Amino acid sequence: MRLAHIADPHLGIRQYHRQTSAGVNQREADVAAAFRTAVDDVIGQRPDAVLIAGDLFHSVRPTNAAIVFAFRQFQRLREALPGAPVVLIAGNHDTPRSTETGCILRLFEELGVDVAAEAARRFVYPALDLSVLAVPHQALVGGERPALRPQGPERHQVMVLHGEVEGLLPADRSGEEYGGAVVTLRDLGGEGWSYVALGHYHVQHEVAPRIWYAGALEYASSNLWGELVDERRKGQAGKAWLLADLATGRMERRPVRQGRPVVDLEPVVAEGLNAAALNGRIAERIGRLPGGIADKIVRLCVREVPRHVSRELDHAAIRRYKAEALHFHLDLRRPEITRETGVGTPGRRQTLPDLVRHFLAHRPLPAELDRDAFVRLGTDLIDAVERDPAGG
Amino acid sequence: MIALRPIGRVVATELKPSTPHQFYFWTARDTPVGIGAIVRVEEAGRVVFGVVTDAVAYSDMMTPMHAVLGADGDPGAMDDPTRRAEIRLFSASVLRQMPEEPLQPVPIGPVRLASDDDVRLALRMDAYTGRDRATGIPVGVYAAGGLESPVYLDCDFLLGPEAAHLNITGVSGLATKTSAVEFLLTSIFQTFPVHKGSVAAVCFNVKGPDLCFLDQPAVLSDEERRLYARLGLTPTPFTDVHYYAPFKSDGVNLNTLRSHEALAANTRPLVWGLREVLDYAEVLLNRDDVDAKADAFIDFLGERVVGRDYRDDTLRTKPFNVQTFADLEEFFRAIFDFVEAMGKGGEVWRTHHVATIRKVRNRLSNISTRSKGLVTDDGTASDLPWGGFADRNVYVVDVAGLDPLAQDLVFARAVSRLREHLERRDLGVDHVVVFVDELNKYASADGSDTYVRKMLLDLSERGRYLGLVLFSAQQFRSQVHRRVVGNAGTAIYGRMDMDELATPGYATLSPATKIKLATLPKGELMIRHPHFTQPIFVKFPRPPVMTSREGLDRFPPATGLSFPDAVARQLRTFDRHISTDGVHALVEGRAEPDVLRALAATRRERPADPFAFFSACLGRRVTPEALTTRRPVPSIRHADGDYGS
Repeated sequence: MRLAHIADPHLGIRQYHRQTSAGVNQREADVAAAFRTAVDDVIGQRPDAVLIAGDLFHSVRPTNAAIVFAFRQFQRLREALPGAPVVLIAGNHDTPRSTETGCILRLFEELGVDVAAEAARRFVYPALDLSVLAVPHQALVGGERPALRPQGPERHQVMVLHGEVEGLLPADRSGEEYGGAVVTLRDLGGEGWSYVALGHYHVQHEVAPRIWYAGALEYASSNLWGELVDERRKGQAGKAWLLADLATGRMERRPVRQGRPVVDLEPVVAEGLNAAALNGRIAERIGRLPGGIADKIVRLCVREVPRHVSRELDHAAIRRYKAEALHFHLDLRRPEITRETGVGTPGRRQTLPDLVRHFLAHRPLPAELDRDAFVRLGTDLIDAVERDPAGG
Repeated sequence: MIALRPIGRVVATELKPSTPHQFYFWTARDTPVGIGAIVRVEEAGRVVFGVVTDAVAYSDMMTPMHAVLGADGDPGAMDDPTRRAEIRLFSASVLRQMPEEPLQPVPIGPVRLASDDDVRLALRMDAYTGRDRATGIPVGVYAAGGLESPVYLDCDFLLGPEAAHLNITGVSGLATKTSAVEFLLTSIFQTFPVHKGSVAAVCFNVKGPDLCFLDQPAVLSDEERRLYARLGLTPTPFTDVHYYAPFKSDGVNLNTLRSHEALAANTRPLVWGLREVLDYAEVLLNRDDVDAKADAFIDFLGERVVGRDYRDDTLRTKPFNVQTFADLEEFFRAIFDFVEAMGKGGEVWRTHHVATIRKVRNRLSNISTRSKGLVTDDGTASDLPWGGFADRNVYVVDVAGLDPLAQDLVFARAVSRLREHLERRDLGVDHVVVFVDELNKYASADGSDTYVRKMLLDLSERGRYLGLVLFSAQQFRSQVHRRVVGNAGTAIYGRMDMDELATPGYATLSPATKIKLATLPKGELMIRHPHFTQPIFVKFPRPPVMTSREGLDRFPPATGLSFPDAVARQLRTFDRHISTDGVHALVEGRAEPDVLRALAATRRERPADPFAFFSACLGRRVTPEALTTRRPVPSIRHADGDYGS
């Protein structure tokens, strides 16, 4: 028994402003291409069943293009793999907030896709000796939860669920999607399942033996830089779907080629650099990227940039980078101010003139200004106000 | 006051003089005086009360040989031709002299049996009874010569703060220890003065069904009812009793003989998780294990690991969040894997030697396997109502079915928590009586220095300041640690074994008193109390609660309940309307651990609708949909055109 586990395609997502020649948002086209690639690969691998673990669409009301595209892909799957059940559940992104909205996923039932959109459903396939408990997002957040346990005599007991496993996502929550239903590992009841196919977390991850997040097919979360960080931690590169062999327990990662690279350039530390030097560093980082930044999604993080330096950067060059890349994010971060004299700490409390003098003596100034004269002027003004509060 | 007729006269000779603390008196042959009787001597404005401690009788026969010769060596030959002069000579110890100063030898004067008022004065009960803010607690009646007088203990000296603690000694099976405590608790609950605050009792049932029926009435005789009336008590059982018992290893049947369904309403599970056990992990370590290294590692677990995120990248990248024994085992496993991977030289992890870690792990995992019903693996606990104790309530912790190690753990933790709450004055009551039977076992004089013994010593030495009072019982007082029994302000003795009486602890008792103790009938006791200068014998009625034998006959324990039945029983304690059939239908086919977890959650939450909550915890069943045939999918035009086309 081999299962194809796909999660979080997020069809219809729109990011950035670039469009294709057909007038479609470029990222929307990218995620569609990734899904098509995955479907091609699934058809090629000919699994016994296909599980799609939620968030097929990025929104409750996806674009018409996304609906038509998804319909065609499911038609292809069903036509190419007529004996393989396709189980689809709704995730938090494609679950309507009110029941009268209805769920677009029901459309695919017409193609013979087994859909769990609101309540949990248990699909039993006697020919495959397979039972699939399909648990959509709504089944976990609304009212009485279903019992997440194997049931029935079928040899292969599988669950497909969309939600966040408590405590397993990174502590800084960098890569995960928000809004998912939280389940504990104990809720999942690891014992007894042949396989648990999870969706929601966009980075491929083994929660426990036979319990996996497949990860998304494209960088489609609200924090794709966090996704990159998580992938680096796990030693992963890019996105993939999973092919699970229940007999051997072997998991095969089936990579999906992305439409364009997502690159987080090596950060620059700008401490002590003036604007000109920093411009050079930025250009150097971009120049080092093989193939340049054209049509890529790129971020460059620059730390310790004083405000006056950031104002004086070469903004014309930055606009050029932004035009060249699909998306260029220059992440300028100011120095972290550490308070040296804490309020309420032991010792003498500073007076207002003391505080002003200290502040003016340390604040960043344009190079042409005489700091001593600047501080003197500030303290004189404060003294004048203190002498004549009514006038102040 | 009615002046009773004299029953004897004080006699003082050179060989047997009267002293300020002892005197002798003779009586007629048919005297009602016996060992333990309280007598009154009054002469020339001085009144002396004494208690009879010994007696001799002899005639004017010179030697036994004269008796033999007089009867020609035939005991059945004939009676003596003349009645010989015979003397009954009693020795008595002084209880009180009035006036107390100057203290002088007992005067030679008539001896009378003590009346009610005399008994009150003799035992100095006038200081704490019969006045405003009285503090007397009836303990029984003193009976002699057809007279009966109530005897009171001073609750300032029984429950603190002046003195405290009670120790009971007596052979098993003669209604001494358990019955006396049950009766005394009844008396305390009915007469403990309001101005002294509130009082509750925590009883550890350490064997059989001894304390299992405290809320059920006893069938008492008229004589017993009369004794209750004489003492000013009502013979009713305890009205507010709460039972706590661990589960059996199946996790759902309670491990107690009080398992009849009619008694289920106030019988709750006692279940602890890892945190509760870890705080008292010292109890699990025997004397050989107690070293600073094991202590340090346990402290490390308690402070850094259990119940919080613990990150150690050398063990694994994901932080540990140890909440249960299973989590702890995973943590230990990671340490051992790390140490093994280190190979030679890798015997230490974070300064803790691997042998120490293994020892602590073995002790902790031992308790979770040997006491499976007490220690739960899923972290949920069901405990005594710390902070919510109520006045005149009894909390019985039934540990009779537990492994000795687990009994120690229960005792240590319960007493520690009581002490902590009483120190903070937030337990809910001002005084707590802790009853522990079989003190020989828990605080033996010559056993190893266990954590429980240290705790009992601490309790007996410091408890009275806190209102934590130890009522303890054992068969052999001589085998209990001296400081534990020595700190008991009040001591009660039932029928004793002669071998026990021959031990040095009883050297102050006269031979006659020892004989009386060895032959004491049911329902009679000897009492030492700080106000009484000599031990006093009293009678007490049977306690007003069902005996364990009657209880077992009337409420036979439910044995072998099936899993669904036991679950239904538990749920019905929250709501009597829950049907067993409904529970059967709900749990059928579910995994037992899931059901137990749902039950634990229901117990913890106490929801308004327990069945609905329990059902929600289990989760809704998902009806299977069998999909046998799949219709073919027709081909469509533009099956895979460009996106958006």
